[in-house]
Amino acid sequence: MAIETLFSDVGAQALGSGLAAIGAGLAVGLAGIGTGVGEQGIGAAAVGATAEDRGMFGLALLFTVLPETVVIFGLVIALLIMFI
Amino acid sequence: MTEVSSGSAPYIYVSTRMRVRKSKLIPREEYLRMLNMGLPELTRLVEEMEYKREIDELAASFSGVDLIENAVSWNLAKEYQKIIALAPGEMKGFTRDYLHKWDIQNILTILRGKQLGLSEGKIKAVLVPAGALDAAALDRMIAESSIDRVVETLPIKAIADILSEGLQAALESRSFGDIENELYKYYYATLIKAARGGMKGGLPFLKYVMFEIDIKNITNLFRVRAQVAKDADTLALWIEGGAFKPEELERLTTVESLDEVVDSLKKKVKVAVLAEALEELREKKPVYAVESTLTSAQLGQMDKMSKRNPFSISPLLVYLERKRYEVANLRALARGKESGLSAEILEKYLVM
Repeated sequence: MAIETLFSDVGAQALGSGLAAIGAGLAVGLAGIGTGVGEQGIGAAAVGATAEDRGMFGLALLFTVLPETVVIFGLVIALLIMFI
Repeated sequence: MTEVSSGSAPYIYVSTRMRVRKSKLIPREEYLRMLNMGLPELTRLVEEMEYKREIDELAASFSGVDLIENAVSWNLAKEYQKIIALAPGEMKGFTRDYLHKWDIQNILTILRGKQLGLSEGKIKAVLVPAGALDAAALDRMIAESSIDRVVETLPIKAIADILSEGLQAALESRSFGDIENELYKYYYATLIKAARGGMKGGLPFLKYVMFEIDIKNITNLFRVRAQVAKDADTLALWIEGGAFKPEELERLTTVESLDEVVDSLKKKVKVAVLAEALEELREKKPVYAVESTLTSAQLGQMDKMSKRNPFSISPLLVYLERKRYEVANLRALARGKESGLSAEILEKYLVM
């Protein structure tokens, strides 16, 4: 009886940490996809603007990386899930 | 041809490039400043603009106003060729079709030049190789010994067929007017066919083409009303595919009252900008004033369309047209200044 309880506790713990890892993965992965979709348009416009005017490079780069913040949010959530 | 499907990114890329280029065109205030300049100042200013490279290239062959005129035309041709090169996928096809009108213009210029017996150099100076026929193809056409040979060796078969059909009559009457009408009808029919071909982005293109046909027909209507005898047969003149039927337009050429003409046109016009422009035409105006009112309406509507469809063919078409008018304005300014026209008169001919 005691052995059975011990095994089920270990199983629940393993399941819990497994699900947390999947959650962390989804947080980063989905945020990454969202960022990619956002950056598609901005990146195309940024390359277009820079091709016409080299002076636009800095500003265009800044706008292109703005959606990266979404990945950072995802990463923060993932770290919270994994370590706290 | 292999078509790479990559979503909206290519449209966004090209539309942005066109917007940046459009923002570099000469603004209205600059034109107003240019109107008060003398010819040497104007020449210097043009040399400092986007046209510098062409002016340097052609400086050995031309001088003065001829240099400005040829440099801006050459710049226009190069610019259009560059745009065809950078437009992706279906946009390239639409752009090529749209720029086909320069081929028609160049071919007619060569035929007219040959008929008048002008020298090769003179014909070449007024050509703008902005369409499918590049400078080398046009040079070969100019070098042909006769008009018949020009038509026979024409690489665009559809145009060659139309030309060979009407060539005899044109040579006898010494006028290429009828051929020109047929060529432009063919041109707009091709555009409508391409736009209705079911390709992505075809709908904004179709809307624009139909709008341009309406503008052309209305401009021609006012030209005919100003020039042609009332009982003349004008049915072959009108371009089909727009909001108006040829019979209706022919009827309007004979209507005396301008109010009635404007009211009849307004019934069919759905575009607000054009309806406003038509209101301005209620009072009798010279043809050039009518044309400039309609051209402003056309450009205004194009701007609107490009804002409504920001990532479509519209921003590209707006840039093509704006660039064309910039070049036309610079030519008008240079020639006008040379002829000693006053700033007030010149201003009326500029599209700003």
